[in-house]
Amino acid sequence: MNISSAQLDPIIRMRDVSVSFGSRRVLDSVSLDVHRGEILVLLGGSGSGKTTLLKQVLGLMKPNTGSIMVKGVDITPCTPSELVAVRRHMGVAFQGAALFNSMSVQANVALPLQELTELSDSTISLITWIKLWMVGLAEAAHLYPSELSGGMRKRTAIARAIALDPEILVFDEPSAGLDPIVAAGLDELIVFLNNILGITILVVTHHLESAFRIADRIAMLYQGHLIAVDEKERFASNTHPRIRQFLDRKPDDVGGGEQGFMAAYMKEFQHEH
Amino acid sequence: MSFLEQIGRPLIVWAEDAGALTLQLGATLWRLPRVLPILGNRRRWSSTLEQALAIGARALPMACTMSLCIGFVLALQGAAELRRFGGVNYVVNLLAVAFTRELGALVTAIAVSGRSASAISAEVGTMVVTEEMDALRVMGLNPVEFTLAPRYLGALIAVPCLTVLSTICGIFAGYAFLSLSIDMSFRIYWHAVFEAIVVRDIWLTLIKSVVFATIIVQVGYLEGLRVSGGPDAVGRAATTAVVKSTFLVIVADLVATWFFYTMGWSAAG
Repeated sequence: MNISSAQLDPIIRMRDVSVSFGSRRVLDSVSLDVHRGEILVLLGGSGSGKTTLLKQVLGLMKPNTGSIMVKGVDITPCTPSELVAVRRHMGVAFQGAALFNSMSVQANVALPLQELTELSDSTISLITWIKLWMVGLAEAAHLYPSELSGGMRKRTAIARAIALDPEILVFDEPSAGLDPIVAAGLDELIVFLNNILGITILVVTHHLESAFRIADRIAMLYQGHLIAVDEKERFASNTHPRIRQFLDRKPDDVGGGEQGFMAAYMKEFQHEH
Repeated sequence: MSFLEQIGRPLIVWAEDAGALTLQLGATLWRLPRVLPILGNRRRWSSTLEQALAIGARALPMACTMSLCIGFVLALQGAAELRRFGGVNYVVNLLAVAFTRELGALVTAIAVSGRSASAISAEVGTMVVTEEMDALRVMGLNPVEFTLAPRYLGALIAVPCLTVLSTICGIFAGYAFLSLSIDMSFRIYWHAVFEAIVVRDIWLTLIKSVVFATIIVQVGYLEGLRVSGGPDAVGRAATTAVVKSTFLVIVADLVATWFFYTMGWSAAG
């Protein structure tokens, strides 16, 4: 993607977004732009607030302060019906796929088309087939979610997310719970959708490999603060201690480290032998 | 904890429940036209029928068996007492009045509460845990219209039907007893039953069963929505839903019966 031209056109613009649950501050004045046509990966460990950030972008939660613009519309003061209009431009693939278990794969993908468009049944089944074909599941159309593997479930969720031709596609932990081969296949699909359809993609994950494989830019969230947003190559050489810790996979000093109980135990252990 | 806190805390919880249920019921009624046949959405109506069948089928065996048992027990106990006055025949009236006015609807509601309040809260709770509810909202589909309204209308159809069936079962148990003990004939028994019951009683019972259906579905759904965290929370929600809805059904039964009584509607004849 051509970043320099895209930079002029943020499709999602968050400004000073803060969220607290009780006295706990989950997001602390986060400002982040997602540019049209890019793949932005939001990295963060458990409890970093990345899921909360995602829910803000989707309008499932409202921030305490700050604004979130999606395609130039501030969604924080939106009424539910206005939100519906904004969400028409967004597709979401949830972490657990969130398929409707009582419906077949095909019915799951067809659902948004049936509910939100006036298309005829034959058009809907054609579009459904095309979307399933794009994610490589044309053969599995008549299976039910319980009959699918983890990777197939996620692909179905993607097919459903792109059913209405969204401009923005949001992924929550796309590679969670998948083996490396299936996860790599999913990464490839994400890049493919970005290249072929020009969809802007926002991915929330803690998988480094996957992040570096697909991202144009990487942002990192740590304890509610956005500590870095940068192009992939520059991000890899960032010297912020938390980012280094994350990239080099170093544990926190809980029982570990020079003075921790693990070190003490190892010393004892070596004396005995 | 001070005495005041001990009293206050359950009161706050109770007030929260009452408020949430009222708001939820309001939202359901607002969306109800969307699930009606012809007026509403075709797919919602078919999912309503599915729900009605599911609720009916889940509770039918239990409701009917319970009514048969309670009917038989009531006939036994009634006969033991009425025999002293030489009025075993009045067992017919006892059962006919007890079931059409009271027991048919109550027994059915308890069966449906055990079966469907738990099922609804578990289904809804699972949808919350697996983010299906979020998926619906993000797709621009209203969760109330999509999941709650069909279940509610389904129950409004199924529970009165079940009530009629279980009332028939309860009264039938009386026939079984009387034909065994004093060899009463089928025709005489049912003739006596229709002498004893009043059409207005049937209407009042059906109104009650609609109230019970409302309580069961709304409580079950609310407990399901409150699920947060993992799968163990789904199990807890199902239990809470059954306990709360059964309790509320019995309280509502008292309120409704008392209301009908003060209005003078439940006077015989």
